[in-house]
Amino acid sequence: MLGVEDIVQLASRTHDVDDISAVQELYHSNGWTDGLPIVPPTREAVEACLDWVMMPPDQLIGIEPVRGLAITAEKLAVNAVMAGCLPMHFPVVVTAWTAMMQEEFLMHGATASTGGCAVLVVLNGPIRLELGASGGFNALGNSDRATAVIGRAIRLCLINLMDVRPGAIDRSTLGHPGKFSYCVAEDEEDTTWLPLAEQRGAPKGASSVTVMAAGAPRQLMNEWTTKPEEILETFAAEMRANLRHYSIHPGNYALIIPKQLREHLQAGGWSKSDIATFIHERARIHRREWAEVGKGAVVRDRGDSIYPAMDSPDQLLVVAAGGPAGGFGAVIPPWLGNKSHAVTVPIGVCVDCEPPKK
Amino acid sequence: MTFRVLDPTPGTAAPAGQLAPRLDTLQGKTVGFISNGKEGTKGFFMHLDQILRDEYGVANVVSRTKSNYSAPADPHIVAEIKSWDAVVSGLGD
Repeated sequence: MLGVEDIVQLASRTHDVDDISAVQELYHSNGWTDGLPIVPPTREAVEACLDWVMMPPDQLIGIEPVRGLAITAEKLAVNAVMAGCLPMHFPVVVTAWTAMMQEEFLMHGATASTGGCAVLVVLNGPIRLELGASGGFNALGNSDRATAVIGRAIRLCLINLMDVRPGAIDRSTLGHPGKFSYCVAEDEEDTTWLPLAEQRGAPKGASSVTVMAAGAPRQLMNEWTTKPEEILETFAAEMRANLRHYSIHPGNYALIIPKQLREHLQAGGWSKSDIATFIHERARIHRREWAEVGKGAVVRDRGDSIYPAMDSPDQLLVVAAGGPAGGFGAVIPPWLGNKSHAVTVPIGVCVDCEPPKK
Repeated sequence: MTFRVLDPTPGTAAPAGQLAPRLDTLQGKTVGFISNGKEGTKGFFMHLDQILRDEYGVANVVSRTKSNYSAPADPHIVAEIKSWDAVVSGLGD
């Protein structure tokens, strides 16, 4: 009887190389990397990823809506292995790409833009614990293996499957470090808040992935109060700064709230919805403020117009993450407001899935 | 130790659009502009409009602007292309 390994036919071309140095040079010289060394994507490693998600190599994960590029499980797996993913990480990569290919995410625009956008990936649910994905110390940085390799896999897939290379499809004027890897796990065990994915409609307890077209994190600090309104005013001020200095387009913003500030908010009985309502009221500017930051030429006769950072409170993604001490937080701004919308997709392992619910 | 490794790229080109038949002349033709709406398109298309009319005898220039400069052209603009002889799609970056 034939086993799965006997009937799997990978479509990828193969290259025979002499040693690990030659592997690295092959991938670098072809523009197949992000500049860092890769893990050699052997047939065995790629098949192990496919086995883990129970997908045949030619499983169509989706068709990129603008250029009509077919994205298959095999090609995602090759790039995930290169990024350092183990098979257990691969379901997250597949789900993130499923989310990114939803029309409202506008993947082509977000990844081709001069605006220097990266794909922020937020993990929720039990898979975080299975993977050892940490939402604690150094969140948004090199906090753990899982978030590092998952975030990197997203970028390598963009580079190799969609030609999102600097100067090719990627026209970013400035990038940011999140374009190497930009993944964070929510610290669900150390908060009373609803997980982000559940807040956004995913089933309770489901492992889920949220993607957002995002700029670099803007870090802030306020250790001098315990009042929720004052803590959140600092976050709102950072968003106002983004509205003034970067873009007035409203859209999804993410707030990363570590434990020290989170505990003050939770002690005051503030839920994520309460935070979003407050932030929606406070994070807005008058157009005339642009004149204060060198953009007077575009104020014109609309100085009194008010620009909120979000159209509605539910556009705010509140994420509990960060080390246990320090009055820090971060605002992650949208790439370009409502041109792209964050998408949340529960992780499922199936061969004949229905399209994700909107 | 030798390695047999897999190519990470699709291996096939993206489905390409097909070029419309080339025009022998622009004389008397209708040319459509599809702008992404950014500031830099304004001067460029204004100048191009003048050159096409004055130097190439283009009869009509139709200017359209996308509602979202990061997304494909709106369906109503795409539908309109059929009534043009040529189209220039321009970025303002």
